[in-house]
Amino acid sequence: MIEVRELSKFYGSFRAVENLTFSVGEGEVVGFLGPNGAGKTTTFRVLTCYHPATSGTASVAGHDVFADSMRARQQVGYLPESVPLYPEMRVREYLRFRGKLRGLDRPARERRIGEVAQRCWIREVIDRPIGQLSKGYRQRVGLADALLHNPRVLILDEPTVGLDPVQIRETGELIRELAANHTVMLSSHILPQVEATCQRMIIIHQGRIVAQGTLAELQQQTGQPPRVSVMLQGPEKDVLAAARSLPGVSEAQAAARDGWTHVTLSARPDVGEALLALCGAKGWKVRELRHEELRLEEIFVRCIMAQPDAAEPRSRSAEPRRKEKPKEKAHA
Amino acid sequence: MRNTLAIMQRELLSLFYSPIGYVVIAGFLVLTGVIMWRGESFGPGKPASLRDVFAFAPYLLTIVVPAICMRSLSEEYRSGTFESLITAAVSDAQLVLGKYLAAMVFYTVMLAGTLVYLLLMMAYGSPDLGVAAASYLGLLLVGSMFASFGILASSLTRDQMVAWILGAVPMMLLVWFAAAIVVELQGGLRMFVQTINIRRYLDLFYQGLVTLEGVVFFLATTALFLFLSIKVVESRRWR
Repeated sequence: MIEVRELSKFYGSFRAVENLTFSVGEGEVVGFLGPNGAGKTTTFRVLTCYHPATSGTASVAGHDVFADSMRARQQVGYLPESVPLYPEMRVREYLRFRGKLRGLDRPARERRIGEVAQRCWIREVIDRPIGQLSKGYRQRVGLADALLHNPRVLILDEPTVGLDPVQIRETGELIRELAANHTVMLSSHILPQVEATCQRMIIIHQGRIVAQGTLAELQQQTGQPPRVSVMLQGPEKDVLAAARSLPGVSEAQAAARDGWTHVTLSARPDVGEALLALCGAKGWKVRELRHEELRLEEIFVRCIMAQPDAAEPRSRSAEPRRKEKPKEKAHA
Repeated sequence: MRNTLAIMQRELLSLFYSPIGYVVIAGFLVLTGVIMWRGESFGPGKPASLRDVFAFAPYLLTIVVPAICMRSLSEEYRSGTFESLITAAVSDAQLVLGKYLAAMVFYTVMLAGTLVYLLLMMAYGSPDLGVAAASYLGLLLVGSMFASFGILASSLTRDQMVAWILGAVPMMLLVWFAAAIVVELQGGLRMFVQTINIRRYLDLFYQGLVTLEGVVFFLATTALFLFLSIKVVESRRWR
């Protein structure tokens, strides 16, 4: 649905993104992650045909974003990071205007406005001026706008920024629902939510892809085997020896605390059943058994820190002052 | 076309929702009203015509029309809605034309307010309606030129105030001072200033003469400024 090949975008001599290659399949929900200024918005702007790439190609729903830009734009619903809206308009007026731009005739427009208003929980504010709405409502109006023409591809730039925890969860659920009929690509800094919402992640740093794949793939790529931790009652030495004898355990550590022995094993999660059987046989009481997977947040931080110049802020790399420039221009 | 009209409608809605719209219309009508009154057009034995208002109007329009246009594109840039328009498959030309049409509709409504003076005059005398019609046509055309220039100014900056200055000052030079400057010049430059001297064209309209030269001058400058605006908007996305 989205195909990007060797995409680069330079602002003058500042490299915003370089050599990005990735694809997003139909119906997928993909998280596009990276620290601030990594090039996420730049990539989205190329995909939505806001500005052309310096080199490389990108296509959305089979339409090249440069050669066939108008048709590509019609297939995309885009929620820009800043959620630009006209404060003087009422929500309904705004959606009507956007519906006209999207080529919906009057009955279709009114029907779709009703549908997206319900979906995005903005029915109660539909006749209020946008300027009076809270950040959360404005975000939803932006989302409703992106959905209005029922696009095949949704590109959401930080859809949950500025929302409260309940709204973040609701938006996450909405995005998961949308995946049934749309292909979604989103960026966010709220990684637990990304983990819950997205099937696949692409992590970029300083304009380059540093990792991509499903959560499991990313966990594997980081090279740390999954761990299982157990809390049980039993003599520390015996427990350790028994645990090490289990198949697939590469490493085991034990520590006694408050009358309980805490054991951490480096092993695949399926060691759990064997471990429980062992405890049953020995008569050790078990209070807790837990898979310690590497969370996305940890993976993300490791990916970024693993980069050679990670510790340095990007503005100090090759082109110091240029950093603000593209942003300013882009908003201009 | 559909997109152009949608942009125009939205722009008009914003103009009529914002205080700027009303301030501009009120200011224009108050000032022309004062001219009408102080110009003693209603005195016995005076010719029944809106001469004074028409003669004064271009000076005022150099201030008023750029004010109508100053927010058109600048505000879209500033608030980021420019991005959401472009990504919603609105072309650069549709955007610029929509803004221009909105400015022209607004301007026409504002100008229509002065028809009251003509009606009053008809109640007490018999003004030459042919001359009045030609004069209004001239004002519409000069407004079109100013509006397209105002849009061009607005396409260059995200700051409304800068857009107003960029849009107003060159037109002021042209209307206020061109006639004075032209006598100081020689040769080719003199020819050039003479050619762009708006007052020369307008005076023909005010005499009731709709000349090809006059119509072509205003329409051609309008087209030129709109074309340049489209190119400026286009170039913003390439940087």
